[in-house]
Amino acid sequence: MLRNYLKIAFRTIWKNKVFSIINILGLSIGLSAAFVIGAMVVYDLSFDKFHPGGDRIYRVTTAFKSPDGDFYNAGVTVPLAQALKDLNMEELETVAPFFTTYPLFVENQETGNRFKNPEFVIYTEPSFFQTFKYDWLAGDAQSALEEPNNVVLSEERAKKYFPNQDLDDILGKSVVYNDTIPAKISGIVANFKDRTDIVFEEFISLKTAATQDMTNAVYEANWNNTNSASQLFIKLSEKTDPTKVQKTLTQIAKEHDEPEMVAVVRSNTYNIQPLADIHLNPDYGTFDFSESRTTISALKSLLLLATILVLLGCINFINLNTAQAMQRAKEIGIRKTLGSSRRQLIFQFLGETFLLTLAATLLSVLLAKWLVHLFSDFIPEGLSFELFWNPLIIIGMAVMVLVVTLFSGFYPALVLSKYKPVSVFKQQVIPNSDKGTLRKYLTIFQFVIAQVFIIATLLVGKQLNYVMKKDMGFKTEAIAYFKTPWRDTSATKRARFVREMEDLPGISKVVLSGNPPASFSTMSMGALFVDGEKEVNSDIQLLYGNAHFFNLYDLKLVAGRMPLNDSIREYVVNTSYLKVLGISNPENVVGKAIRADNENSPIVGVMNDFNQHSLKYGVAPMAFTGGSYNGKWTQFRTIHFKLESLDTNDWSSSIAQIETIWKAIYPDADFEYNFMDDTVKKFYEKEQKTSILLQWATGLAILISCLGLLGLVIHTTERRTKEIGVRKILGASIFQLNLLLSKDFLKLVLIAFLIATPIAWYGLTYWLEGFANKTILSWWIFTLSGFAMVMIALLIMSIKIIASANTNPVKSLRTE
Amino acid sequence: MLLQLNNIFKWVQQGGQRVFLLKDINLEVEDGEFISIMGPSGSGKSTLLNVIGMLDTFDEGEYDFLNESVHTLKEKYRSNLYKEYIGFVFQSYHLLDELTVEENLEMPLLYKKVKGSERKALVADMLDRFNIVGKKDLFPTQLSGGQQQLVGVARALIGKPKLILADEPTGNLNSQQSEEIMELFQNLNKEDGVTIIQVTHSEKNAEYGSRILNLLDGRKI
Repeated sequence: MLRNYLKIAFRTIWKNKVFSIINILGLSIGLSAAFVIGAMVVYDLSFDKFHPGGDRIYRVTTAFKSPDGDFYNAGVTVPLAQALKDLNMEELETVAPFFTTYPLFVENQETGNRFKNPEFVIYTEPSFFQTFKYDWLAGDAQSALEEPNNVVLSEERAKKYFPNQDLDDILGKSVVYNDTIPAKISGIVANFKDRTDIVFEEFISLKTAATQDMTNAVYEANWNNTNSASQLFIKLSEKTDPTKVQKTLTQIAKEHDEPEMVAVVRSNTYNIQPLADIHLNPDYGTFDFSESRTTISALKSLLLLATILVLLGCINFINLNTAQAMQRAKEIGIRKTLGSSRRQLIFQFLGETFLLTLAATLLSVLLAKWLVHLFSDFIPEGLSFELFWNPLIIIGMAVMVLVVTLFSGFYPALVLSKYKPVSVFKQQVIPNSDKGTLRKYLTIFQFVIAQVFIIATLLVGKQLNYVMKKDMGFKTEAIAYFKTPWRDTSATKRARFVREMEDLPGISKVVLSGNPPASFSTMSMGALFVDGEKEVNSDIQLLYGNAHFFNLYDLKLVAGRMPLNDSIREYVVNTSYLKVLGISNPENVVGKAIRADNENSPIVGVMNDFNQHSLKYGVAPMAFTGGSYNGKWTQFRTIHFKLESLDTNDWSSSIAQIETIWKAIYPDADFEYNFMDDTVKKFYEKEQKTSILLQWATGLAILISCLGLLGLVIHTTERRTKEIGVRKILGASIFQLNLLLSKDFLKLVLIAFLIATPIAWYGLTYWLEGFANKTILSWWIFTLSGFAMVMIALLIMSIKIIASANTNPVKSLRTE
Repeated sequence: MLLQLNNIFKWVQQGGQRVFLLKDINLEVEDGEFISIMGPSGSGKSTLLNVIGMLDTFDEGEYDFLNESVHTLKEKYRSNLYKEYIGFVFQSYHLLDELTVEENLEMPLLYKKVKGSERKALVADMLDRFNIVGKKDLFPTQLSGGQQQLVGVARALIGKPKLILADEPTGNLNSQQSEEIMELFQNLNKEDGVTIIQVTHSEKNAEYGSRILNLLDGRKI
């Protein structure tokens, strides 16, 4: 029986090649997107699942509450770890503080080999290795970090620093960090084999930091300073309720709140973050900053996208199969008179759907391979096509095949198997019962989706264009900057650099200042504005620079004057700060003072607002001030310069000359420069990704829907061949025929447009709310996308209609 | 007795009025009979045949088939009943175009859950008996009308039914082909004792039967 079903299934699929191809293609596009997205979900959810007792490991993090909103820091105050240890809680198995550090270089003194910027180096205690179980290839977890100036290396690092040596021989040898900190290799652990965010490679004993601290964080042991370098893992005892630990932490945080901060409604709390949460929680981040992380919400929208695409493919299936019911009706009647039960028929049709789905799935795996390649920008680096052989994904695919089979096959099977043999043979069943109402709804649904995508793509593109073209409020053209190495405190070197650059041809202005007006790093302070009785407390961003900097970026002073020099603290505030203060006339604020860090400093001027970050955000209150030089530390560490020529081709020679100077002054560091225009563009990376993804989703949605539309049009024109022939003989033109046949479908597309418009309008208004600067949701976006959809639909339909209208009517009538 | 119809009525509602398709039909069919149902178009011949074949329902009356009262049976048992005892032959053959001759013959056996080896033997028998062994791998569209109907009859016979219902079996055939099919029916009836009920327009074909049933406007006359 099964063989008979398979045979007839294959032959039917083969006979209706066009429909089968449409079905398979539409489904496989949706499925391949679903598989890639599924693989991403599996990938992102499979981090750190292998640690023994991993569900009991938590990271303690800090959340700051303030009237301006909540801020999160993955670090905790340094004394917290000791405080927890002193409590000797039975709920805690381990308390493992560690400090991330970024040495400039590490040297194997035996060979003299230097390794620049080793990553993933931490200071930590033996408790870290009780929390995370490593496979010890040399040395042991208990004693390796007991002594100062000991370091445990990962296998990979050990092999890198001591190539071609036995791991046991490496034990006891030394490396030197930053020329000053010697460390004896006291252990070697195997790198974790599975996916993990615990990426550390070098573990220096915490006792080393007592005298040789590379982080400046370890012995800033006070309760007021939270540095993200100072982090803390804890492992709960078995069968412990984590809320107990959380309560203790909340208690500790409360005990150490500063009264002055509480007075202005600022406080911090410690939260425990499960190990499983680290990978996808953007509030606290992970330890590897080189890779951008997916977030739960991004995964959710991708999953939604996959569902929609698969759904669109399924709809094609339902539509084409019910439309084709007439062709199958005879077979159903015959089978029923020969004794087939309805259930047997349903299984038969489901079997056919299953075969098609299976074919689509196989095709989609091939497509997925290509998609992984195509979307490499969106897909985490560690995700390769090999992940598709993960049993979880294979099971997922199998489940998907079954679900899709049932979803797209069940309704057609139900409809088909319902036919009564008598009515089929009398040929009375089809015209009356098959009005295709469901098909209409489903087609409308498909086109609503496609239409919403088109509108969204247009608007997101428009908004992106708007924010990228909009004036930031300062000059960006032909201006570039680079940071001098932050560890090199020599002011003379920087001054020399500026002098030598000034002599270069092609460079018109060179300024040593702080960060550029808009950047990813912001400095801010709490500021108290006092004017007689009136006191305003707020956060204010700081921009460090001088008059040359002001002119280079063409910032505009509206009242008062520039700060006199770098050593006196004087502020030029922006107009947004005036709004916070509730002062409208800029002149009124000049001469008043801001109190910060227990020091009153005068406001000497007011400048025009400009955007300090992506235009997604508004303009924050800001104060422009000198360098606050304190002998060793200065904010003036970035060199800004303007290129004379506006032609980008002339720039590379100037850049090359600057690099030559760099190599002479800072031979140890790498030269990295940024053009202001590029920095601005980088603010919109996320939006650009959204835009590209949307374009793809739109393309795929249109493709699948149009495949379905094509199928339906083929079906109708074939059913109406005779009518077309008769009309042609009576003198209808091709245009008239085209209009006649596409009219019904165009109606559906128009209804879809009417439904899609409010949905898109609502969704996009919501999306635009997230932007402080937004483009207008203009009517032409809707008109244009509606028009585009109609044109695409018309084009698709015309292909088939014109072809059949062109056939000789005599031919079509004779075959009837 | 093979089957018995008692006071069968079948009607449809049209504009608030009952239009009778079958009106007070009484019929007894013994094993081994060969009955021809005749009458003008719309007289209810095919409807009566479909009711006998349990493909169609009726609104009033009693129908006993092999002492089972069909009108009280559930759909599932009814389909088991006709699957077991009744073979159908249609005017337009109704072979499955996607299947070969051999596979078409095999299909009723599949629904009767006959075992593979037995199935093969039965199909081979039938091909042999109807002299269509050479055509077993052809598809219906590759055959002439007469040959297709031959396959149709073979398919109806393969399940060894007690009763064959034929709805204008020769309606689409030329006179020579129709004669062959009618002779085939006669032989089946006489030699194998299969009961046959056929609907026909042709007096000549009707004469092959042992009894003629005339219908007019749903009534027996």
